[in-house]
Amino acid sequence: MSEMVRKASTFEILNHWVLAISCILLAISGYGFLFKIEGIAAVFGGANMMKDIHNYLGIVFSVSLFLSIFNWLKDALTFDADDIKWIACAGGYLSKHPKIPPMGKLNTGQKFYYIALLVFGTAIAVSGFIIWLLPGNKTYVLWSHLIHNISFVVLMIAVPVHIYLATIANPGTFRIMIYGTVPYKWAAKRHPKWIQELSHGK
Amino acid sequence: MAKKALLITPELCIGCRACQVACKSWNQLPAEKTQNKGSYENPGDLTPTLYNKIRFVEVPSEKDPIRWLFVSQRCMHCEDAGCMKICPSPGALYKTKDGIVSFNQDKCIGCKLCIAGCPFDIPRYNQKNKISKCNFCEDRVANNQPPACAKTCPTGSITYGDRDALIANAQKVGYQKLYGQMDLGGLGVLYAFKDAPKLYGLNENPRIPESIVFWNNVLKPLSYIGLGGVVAASILHYLVIGPHKEEEV
Ligand code: HEM
Ligand code: HEM
Ligand code: SF4
Ligand code: SF4
Ligand code: SF4
Repeated sequence: MSEMVRKASTFEILNHWVLAISCILLAISGYGFLFKIEGIAAVFGGANMMKDIHNYLGIVFSVSLFLSIFNWLKDALTFDADDIKWIACAGGYLSKHPKIPPMGKLNTGQKFYYIALLVFGTAIAVSGFIIWLLPGNKTYVLWSHLIHNISFVVLMIAVPVHIYLATIANPGTFRIMIYGTVPYKWAAKRHPKWIQELSHGK
Repeated sequence: MAKKALLITPELCIGCRACQVACKSWNQLPAEKTQNKGSYENPGDLTPTLYNKIRFVEVPSEKDPIRWLFVSQRCMHCEDAGCMKICPSPGALYKTKDGIVSFNQDKCIGCKLCIAGCPFDIPRYNQKNKISKCNFCEDRVANNQPPACAKTCPTGSITYGDRDALIANAQKVGYQKLYGQMDLGGLGVLYAFKDAPKLYGLNENPRIPESIVFWNNVLKPLSYIGLGGVVAASILHYLVIGPHKEEEV
């Protein structure tokens, strides 16, 4: 267990948490707006303050989402035949003793998650900025309101699944976003093609 | 309590604008400098300090070379109010027991989403970006007084009362169907029109934008059904199939 391999840089870890925390706070305040919940507004210091926080956190989220491109986009866009096999066996998540095709640095599900986040994160951010900065423009605001909320529905499904899979569903994964490293053996089993690449590169 | 309403009969209006003045007076709304645009209509549009405006429409025809229509334009106090539906701030817009759609500027967050929700282009904003519109003289109605406009109107063009009674009375004098009687769940401001609503500057079929209806009926519930569903599925997955332990990889 002693030999470790680095899966995420300090920058990636920091950016992940900026993204995650801003997203979760946006979502909580978002629910506050969506259902006009006094209690949530009170936690954020009143509805007026909640609007400001939601809007400025939107900037934080957008910048962080943009920076994440440098962390994950390249790996997320690299597909091969093993990804199809991964989909065919649903990532092995439906079996107690799964046989999973060899994966690169990100498995197929992680790639899809990142692509979905990039698409719907961009959509929710752009639509949010339009609602914020072009108020009163009925056509733009109606479209943006629709897109903001469709994206919200998608994210509220995707993000909890990500959190589950990155924590208790896959022991050993969570530490990546704390220390950045994983045991070599663990990585060789879960991301063999990535480990191969690493050793070829050496 | 019975829903209150105003019944507006343009044919009786003489365009004196006493109601505009009474409204400003009761609601302590300052006058504004306006511009002459070659029409008796003045000011030309609703503003944050003009809740009620007499629209002036000239409809000359061969039979009737001089036909002037005066129509009071203001918030309709919709039963199914698009502004309230889309507003994200608790308590910014609220409905009173009389069916009035009123507002609280302290709770308004100035997002202006209600502009997109209103089928009648009513909400306006003060300098601090807080909503401003007719509140049906909520304070007067709460004390069993008619709104200032109805109280002042010298010709009976604006009358106030229980909504059902106003409709029944209008039917007696020959208005079979009032504008706003059925629209948007029933408007709190009814119009006795002799011609197509379009002529008086109102939309034939006022509707809340479809995207807002879809958002309200589908997306809002989906936002928590989806979240709840995947959380439940995760718990179930953890219990039934369990985590991917390292040995099992
Ligand atoms: C608060 C709970 C969260 C935890 C515990 C968590 C944990 C993790 C972990 C451990 C990884 C590394 C996976 C790996 O490299 O194999 C990861 C990756 C990632 N996380 Fe999170 N995360 C959380 C919330 C979020 C949120 C809210 C977002 C986005 C809005 C997010 C976006 C991402 C992305 C884009 C990746 C890249 C790799 C992938 O697609 O899985 N995370 N997360
Ligand atoms: C993950 C990111 C985000 C989530 C989950 C989220 C969620 C929500 C939700 C659920 C609502 C209430 C529904 C509605 O009335 O439209 C809302 C409203 C709003 N969001 Fe977001 N949002 C996010 C990002 C953003 C961003 C990036 C911006 C742009 C700066 C933004 C700006 C707004 C605005 C302006 C409103 C309308 C209410 C208000 O003016 O505060 N949102 N958001
Ligand atoms: S009901 Fe009251 S607030 Fe509304 S237009 Fe008439 S006088 Fe003004
Ligand atoms: S501007 Fe004020 S009243 Fe209008 S939707 Fe936003 S919070 Fe509600
Ligand atoms: S007319 Fe517009 S502002 Fe008035 S209640 Fe109806 S939707 Fe709201």
